[in-house]
Amino acid sequence: MAELTLTRPARLRPLQAGLALALFGTVLFALVLARQPALEGPDATALEQLLLWHSLLPRAATALLAGAALGLSGALLQRVLRNPIADPSTLGIAAGAQLALTLAIAFAPALLAFSREGTAFAGGILAVALVLAMSWRRGFEPVTVVVAGMTLSLMAGAMSAALILARGDYVFSLFIWGAGALHQQNWQPALLIGTRLALGAGAALLLLRPLELMMLDDAAARSLGMAVQGMRLAIIALAVWLAASVVSQVGVIGFVGLAAPAFARLGGARRPGAVLLAAPLIGALMLWITDSLVQLTASGGGDLIPTGAAVGLLGGPLLLWLLPRLPASAPQPLRATGHARRLRRPGRALALLAAGATLIAILALLAGRDLEGWALTTGPLLAELAVFRIPRIVAAAAAGGLLGAAGAIMQRLTGNPLAGPEVLGVSAGAGVGLALALTLSPAPSAALLLAASAGGALGALALVLLMAAWTGFAAERLLLCGIALGCTGFALLSAVFAAGGPGSFRLLAWMSGSTDRVGANEAWMLAAAALVLLLPVAVLGRWLEILPLGAGVSAALGVPVGASQLALTLLAALMTGVAAFFVGPLSLVGLIGPHLARLTGFASGRSFVFASALIGAGVLLLADWLARMLAFPYQLPTGLLAALVGGPYLIWLLQRGGGRHG
Amino acid sequence: MRSGPGLSRRALLAAPLALAAPGARAESAALRVATVDWALLETLLGMGITPVAAAELVLFRQVAVEPPVPPSVIDIGLRGAPNFEALRLARPDLIFSSNYYAEMEPTLRLIAPVETLSIYRTGDPPFARAEAAAARIGALTGREEAAGALIARVNAQIDAERGDLARHAGRPVLVLNLGDSRHFRVFGADSLFGEVLVRLGLANAWGDRTSYAASAPIGLEALARFPEAFLVILRPVPPDAARVLSTSALWNALPNVRDHRLAVLDSVDPFGGLPTAARFARLLSAALRAEGDAARQGGSLG
Repeated sequence: MAELTLTRPARLRPLQAGLALALFGTVLFALVLARQPALEGPDATALEQLLLWHSLLPRAATALLAGAALGLSGALLQRVLRNPIADPSTLGIAAGAQLALTLAIAFAPALLAFSREGTAFAGGILAVALVLAMSWRRGFEPVTVVVAGMTLSLMAGAMSAALILARGDYVFSLFIWGAGALHQQNWQPALLIGTRLALGAGAALLLLRPLELMMLDDAAARSLGMAVQGMRLAIIALAVWLAASVVSQVGVIGFVGLAAPAFARLGGARRPGAVLLAAPLIGALMLWITDSLVQLTASGGGDLIPTGAAVGLLGGPLLLWLLPRLPASAPQPLRATGHARRLRRPGRALALLAAGATLIAILALLAGRDLEGWALTTGPLLAELAVFRIPRIVAAAAAGGLLGAAGAIMQRLTGNPLAGPEVLGVSAGAGVGLALALTLSPAPSAALLLAASAGGALGALALVLLMAAWTGFAAERLLLCGIALGCTGFALLSAVFAAGGPGSFRLLAWMSGSTDRVGANEAWMLAAAALVLLLPVAVLGRWLEILPLGAGVSAALGVPVGASQLALTLLAALMTGVAAFFVGPLSLVGLIGPHLARLTGFASGRSFVFASALIGAGVLLLADWLARMLAFPYQLPTGLLAALVGGPYLIWLLQRGGGRHG
Repeated sequence: MRSGPGLSRRALLAAPLALAAPGARAESAALRVATVDWALLETLLGMGITPVAAAELVLFRQVAVEPPVPPSVIDIGLRGAPNFEALRLARPDLIFSSNYYAEMEPTLRLIAPVETLSIYRTGDPPFARAEAAAARIGALTGREEAAGALIARVNAQIDAERGDLARHAGRPVLVLNLGDSRHFRVFGADSLFGEVLVRLGLANAWGDRTSYAASAPIGLEALARFPEAFLVILRPVPPDAARVLSTSALWNALPNVRDHRLAVLDSVDPFGGLPTAARFARLLSAALRAEGDAARQGGSLG
């Protein structure tokens, strides 16, 4: 992906703006100190002193240091991956750390007593090591690194959610951690992050020259005598180390690493040195100001929303506001598919795929377990159990098909292999709608939840389309816009989790992706929606072949560029939104479907989308059946199983270097 | 009551034995009941009714602990994702559900008539609703006397504990969960524990500011506002929280911690029914009466 080069608005004076922000932060913090409630009792004065020194001051220090570390980490990652939307979470650090914590809680609580921080750190590092191992063969090509990171994040996230659901103990602590609460009761986190930040900044200083060379392409950098791979590895390791230290101390604070470098560039920082200096400062102020606002809005009953979630809430709109200021760049042309073969008779291959999916559906209908063991269900028992099995089968097939197709459309449209359907922010919107209904209604019915989820998805969709239309459908802007929206949405969700209560378990079930609540009505509605949404692909398929060639070529070939992009985005977003309610936000299916379809050789736009849909349906059908069978009578989340069925295969493809993406 | 117009006569009639003429009251053993809700499960067990199937028993035995679940009860999986096929194979005549599971009610109705009894609704005191749920279960299963006995037993026990705690009357108590070494969650006036506190003659130090289900995690420093309160910490305490807090300057300087005015109680289901209320009252009363002993133990969180 191209580097975002930001034009510098003449009226913005970075230094003054920075000082103004710092002053604002100081005023807010003074307000926080002034508004501390007076304590009662004989120990009041001593306690107030203690609170100041052991709670308020370390909290501010932690916010500043964590923000700076994340800003530096994001700046390093964006530079080295040449990807403006790279940040610690794109690499799977947060998800890896969360999985490690969850695993430790479930299976080795003693490990946590030994070192909670160390456990999270190990998970983050392991995730990144896996991501790098996967992309080794492709020379850490930035795009591959990000795809691998995404894949790993999704798998780790689904596994964490499933574990939390299956084990009630200590979930409260995980929710807090997931929302990034900054309360402190000693200086230890601040000191830990501070020392790592100091070491990291020193190392970054030493790496400054290699970082500047990285602006050149690999060949040019190599000709200047740089060991490109080794240097890239070192810089990534440094960035990960910084991010993992923050994640392990205070939890998930996703947005700062993404936003701080972007703001730095917006403020006019061009050279790596300037960005590396500005991004940590901006990150520190961002998190500090947010945390002060969180404290000022807190009631006696605690913060309204944890800081990590709040910064996501504030950060999303900021990024949206930034969008129109980014210069447009043409969509990346599709990479040549190299040795990949082209199917001579895609129609026949499609029929084969359809037959395969049908076979899996039949297996799912007939084979199962009862209270005694495995059994092939037939006769009157089948008639009895079919009312439970058929809706799930229909829902899994339809949702898998929709996600596969949406992923295929998005990847063709944006030319970015990272563009799984959730990049549109629509799934997160559906989740927010769901969360609202769960919070506000004492006894939410299936119909209410469905309506709320659809409302949330449509709201997010309207926002994305509005922003996309405003910015002229540049692929990068669409992605950034969707990510900003998704970021905000998931931040809200993590705040709901942190509040706890039974609603959060329902949300968690949604996050982990389960089809088990689907009744007959919903299943047939979903199937009808799938048909309605998939049929237009037959007509619009041509656009998918022409649009990736660029706006100029497309217009010359008579394709209405803006309108066709709008139509395709709308279609993909609707597909995602509909599927999201039933199988959660997990879109590994939306990544796997298109990758496998491309590998099989479906090249034309139309057959590519349909093949992705069929593969997606097959994967989700298989996953859903396994989810019902493996731990009977306990049901595993379908989303998790989809990740476990398809994920390793995707990883294998990537590692083999055979998976070309476009 | 909570079922509103919902429990339809139809459902009652469909549960074949439930409403026979008073003289010909059915044997409760003949009515096969199942439940997806934990509060209703413990209420059933507390009334001596063994359901044929219930949800998430592995965790129930750890979190709710009492009453013990007989091995004959079929585990139908997670409460959030019960296995409908397994529930179908258990062949219940009547399924008890609550507002948390409203979404899956249409599917449950494919298996057997469903009775929805909701104990926890925002702003409604749960204790009375827990009693009403027991009474309703009694009416539907023909075990009114068992329901009456459970209600009487729990109330009598709480009254007796109240007598034992006479010298603590009006004492402020803060019931909380530790999330990690920096956060806790508190049980407000409209939680079951909040209500039991009042029934025990104690005072909820938190006041009526917030309900359990709606409160975000609270920073540990907020405890400094309640120097007078007796702290009741519900297990599980995360291992690292116990470790870090024992060395924390702030924690150890809190007047309640310094003076050992705290107790760690065994796990109690925060969304339980009458048996949970009795369990909480018993554990809390024992902890308060043993306050001196706790001081000798040094208020360990382990």
